[in-house]
Amino acid sequence: MESRQLRPVYDALEHSDMNQALRECDKLIRKHAMHPGAQALKAFVLARQGEVKQATTLAHQVLKAPGAVKSPHVQQGLSLAFRALGLPEDEIAVYTAALKHSSDAESLHCKIFMTAARNKMLKEQHATAVVLNKQFKQDRYTWWVVASFMLQAKSAAHESTKQLQLTLAERTAEMALKEGRLTNTEELRIYLEVLELQGKHDFMLEVLLADGPLAEKIQNDCDLISQRIDLMIKTGDYAQACKAAEQALESRDNWADYKLYAEAVVATLGQTGASESYASAAIANFDRWACQRGRARAANLACIDLATRLHEAGHSDVADKVIGPVGERIWSYIDAFMAKAICYSDIMNYICAHAKRAAAQQLALSVIDFHTKQLEQRLSSARTNALLHDEDAAQAWVCLERIRYLMQALVDDTDSERWIAGVETMLPFALDSDEAEQKQPACSDMVLIASQRIVQAAFLAYSEPAQHSLLCLALFKALCVLEAGIKLNSDQFLLKLHAIRLYLYLSCYERARALYDTLNIKHIQHDTLGFLINGHGMALGCFAPDLALCYDGVSFYDRAEARIPRELESAYGNGTYSNITDFLAFQDNLVHSMQRECTHRHALRGEVFEHGGSKDVLAQWGEADVVSIAHTDATIDALNDNRDVGVMGLLTPIEMTRWNLEIMTRPVPLQGSNWLKIFSLVPQIMHYIVCADAAQLDMRSKELLAVIDQAGQSVSSHDILLARGICQIATLYLSALSGNECFEQQLTGLADLICSNIPQELPAGSSSRDLASVALSAIRNAAAATELFTYALSAKHALTAQRLPSFAKLCGLRLSQVRKTALKLMNEMRVWADKQALECIDLQWQSREGDLLAPIADFVFDRCKATSASTARSCASSWLKSVKSMDGVYNYVLMTLPALLHSTDESWFEPLPPNDIDVDAAQLMPLPGEDQNEDYFEDTWGDLNRKSLLK
Amino acid sequence: MSTFRRFRAMDMFRFNNINLDRYTETYDLSFYLTYLSSWPDLYVVAESADRSLMGYLMGKVEGKGEEWHGHVTALTVAPECRRLGLGRGLMRVLEEASERIYDCYFVDLFVRPSNTVAIQMYECLGYILYRQVIDYYMTDGVMPTEYAHDMRKALSRDVAKRSVVPLKHPVNVQDTFF
Repeated sequence: MESRQLRPVYDALEHSDMNQALRECDKLIRKHAMHPGAQALKAFVLARQGEVKQATTLAHQVLKAPGAVKSPHVQQGLSLAFRALGLPEDEIAVYTAALKHSSDAESLHCKIFMTAARNKMLKEQHATAVVLNKQFKQDRYTWWVVASFMLQAKSAAHESTKQLQLTLAERTAEMALKEGRLTNTEELRIYLEVLELQGKHDFMLEVLLADGPLAEKIQNDCDLISQRIDLMIKTGDYAQACKAAEQALESRDNWADYKLYAEAVVATLGQTGASESYASAAIANFDRWACQRGRARAANLACIDLATRLHEAGHSDVADKVIGPVGERIWSYIDAFMAKAICYSDIMNYICAHAKRAAAQQLALSVIDFHTKQLEQRLSSARTNALLHDEDAAQAWVCLERIRYLMQALVDDTDSERWIAGVETMLPFALDSDEAEQKQPACSDMVLIASQRIVQAAFLAYSEPAQHSLLCLALFKALCVLEAGIKLNSDQFLLKLHAIRLYLYLSCYERARALYDTLNIKHIQHDTLGFLINGHGMALGCFAPDLALCYDGVSFYDRAEARIPRELESAYGNGTYSNITDFLAFQDNLVHSMQRECTHRHALRGEVFEHGGSKDVLAQWGEADVVSIAHTDATIDALNDNRDVGVMGLLTPIEMTRWNLEIMTRPVPLQGSNWLKIFSLVPQIMHYIVCADAAQLDMRSKELLAVIDQAGQSVSSHDILLARGICQIATLYLSALSGNECFEQQLTGLADLICSNIPQELPAGSSSRDLASVALSAIRNAAAATELFTYALSAKHALTAQRLPSFAKLCGLRLSQVRKTALKLMNEMRVWADKQALECIDLQWQSREGDLLAPIADFVFDRCKATSASTARSCASSWLKSVKSMDGVYNYVLMTLPALLHSTDESWFEPLPPNDIDVDAAQLMPLPGEDQNEDYFEDTWGDLNRKSLLK
Repeated sequence: MSTFRRFRAMDMFRFNNINLDRYTETYDLSFYLTYLSSWPDLYVVAESADRSLMGYLMGKVEGKGEEWHGHVTALTVAPECRRLGLGRGLMRVLEEASERIYDCYFVDLFVRPSNTVAIQMYECLGYILYRQVIDYYMTDGVMPTEYAHDMRKALSRDVAKRSVVPLKHPVNVQDTFF
């Protein structure tokens, strides 16, 4: 009967039609005054619709109603409601209450267990597991008990508690083992985890080596075989470890086992009375395996790995005697495998280790000389053969070029000409050969190396501010090379990643975003790759498209937070216990993700800008939840940085920061703790202005000033500018509250700050300096000024609302003048971007002047003409979009303020004199080819269809 | 040369060098986590000497009776790790588990007809084109809508090799559900 009555509600829920579900619930409640099933589901629907208070009250009413939870529909409705409301204790209370009425206690206890497990309620989880294990005596409940003990131990505050929990977990698992109830590898893995946490390696080994039905199941398990060898090393049985590794490698080729073998061999030499026999045997084995088909790479690299380990452990004599000179081994490896794309990443760390060791022995030069000589001997023949259409030689050339790059980095070569040398030979092969037409991977690799060399040389040669125009010129040429590579083979994501970086460096958001979109980045990649683009649009005045992307990121995190606990539940349900620790660590990394916090702050920033001129901006600020975004040093330290900065295919180890192009080409510093503190304080300051909370405002603005002072180079100058402006707004507001006479002076200071960052002298001509100024600072300054203007407007609205009319009027008048100035300057800039930018790029960036790039200029602009022309258009078009976007903000204020202000402040209504805006319709027409992402940029104030983060 | 081991959820933070490839789909988190929580021994990753991820295989077992089989949900190798035999190695892990642990009749997989390199590899491993699936791949704005090749390889349990007798006509997506 109840099921039939509730069917329409379930149907509506199935179709995610919450409004219909609510109507159906109400219909039932009207018909049957106390229909607990309908009420429970109504509570759930209300919770989903964000009516938290109403939903909570209703759900609690139903829970307290005598006998209501007898019904499975009520149980389900209430559990859904409490889950949606984030009240796990109440969800457990539903099942606990139901236990009194139900005959299916096992299922209810399981639900309690899962609710506790999902919500990390470890005590409840454990207590329920114990009840299930005692009452229902199923094997899986035993492992739930073990898992619960283990999780409690991991979170225990005291060592003694931790030990106790682990001992109990171990005993429970041991009992299961003795009784033959440890039957699969998942149960074995959690038992091993418990032992590992106690450092009981002997016991672990004993379990892994034990005979029995499980032995057969684990004999081919890659992870467990490696773990067994590792445990032998940990327990000091190195000889046995060597033997086990040898046995494992006889039947399968697993690099982890080679490394363990090498580790065990080195460890044997540390024992008293040790001889080099194990090392000799290992090398003999490696050589034997190297001869076997398909195993050569691992076995050969294992020789180098063993030699490196022996040297590092102080057994150079053994290494030299048994293996011979490591440098020669390295080059013999390169000779054998340089036709494989992976060769360089295999060998890079060993070359670095060799050079580092030599440096420690004052032998760096001789080692580098040795490697350089070896390289030179091979490079020219590889290059010649590659140009003779030999595919393997082409890949070998790529490998050798990568090594050449590394060698230059290892010797700290600062000669930009040496960095650019060879690029003129690489480019025709990479972009203009038959191989390039055939999309051979070596050609794309070569495009990347060539562009990286251009960028590296440019940063070395033109690091001084006076030479920034030349830096831009070089980066533009690197971009042309990358774009030509992308045009030939659009599947090459590495080229796109580097192009995105360079476009953003040159303040070109539009093309960077278009390339980013082609990478189809989604889901978890919002966390790992979002840093490439999120916030960069806002820094360039393109708020709306950036905000849309940030919303995608924010919603990913929200979804992940809801779904991972469900998957944890599945791991318990399916008995895949090895996932529990992994899933929890994964969840923690996402919930406390640095990128998550940054994306959220960017989204907030975008929203402020979106609502900057609308009438409900004060209400938005007033209702903003600023408590949850407040950060302390401790909360920031607890964040995990999941950003995949290593994805860009760097040619040097990531720790060689001086030669790390990922760092070098960052348009702004990677957002970290200081940035996060600043952009957590900015919304708080605005909130306290709107709420007229002077004490909090004073405190937060002082905090912000302190962060600015300590930020140094960790935050971009434009973000610092914005933060300083916010501090000035706070001071201004506090002055108004206290009737301070300095108000007018402070207001002038704020207005000057905004105006000073809108380009005062626009590039009238077409010099490369003008281009560099637009590319490296003008657009970013103007965007920061525009953003600051919207914050100042919010403060002005707050003064009006708080009945401080004289201050509000002064503020309004001053901002009106700022708007006029801004509009005039922005329009001039718009005209320039529209009419002259392209011409300037043609004249300056495409010029063949400049000694450093002369060897490649001819190639770039003759044979890649079409690409360089479209790259130039992309740059010019991006700048125009940015300026139009910012320009639109000032214009928008003109259109919407009358309705917003409800004041007689007529200066806002004044249209600008015609001479002030000297832009005719033709100048606003898009440039050829710029319409690709038009909708993003025209939709500055569009409805982005997402609930505000400010609430 | 690589380390084969089980995939872990934490690996998702560093599989971009593999997943940025246009043929590789990045799924919703639940998708990966469900495979991990359901068939952890059929979700294998290859790791290189410098500990970067080289490729991975996600698999599952499904079906009833003689349709009980191992299925390759995703097999992908990073561009610079191709031509090293990694794909074959990963496939061997799945085939071995499907045969020894799960006692399946066959292994099957879907592949885009445009992915000729992958098809060649599967053919070398003994897979045959069992049937075509109409519009199995829908466009995501990057990759086009395409038919799928449903390829199969019989395991030793299928003595009569009935699972690999090719169908004559293409089927619809719903016909592929087990």
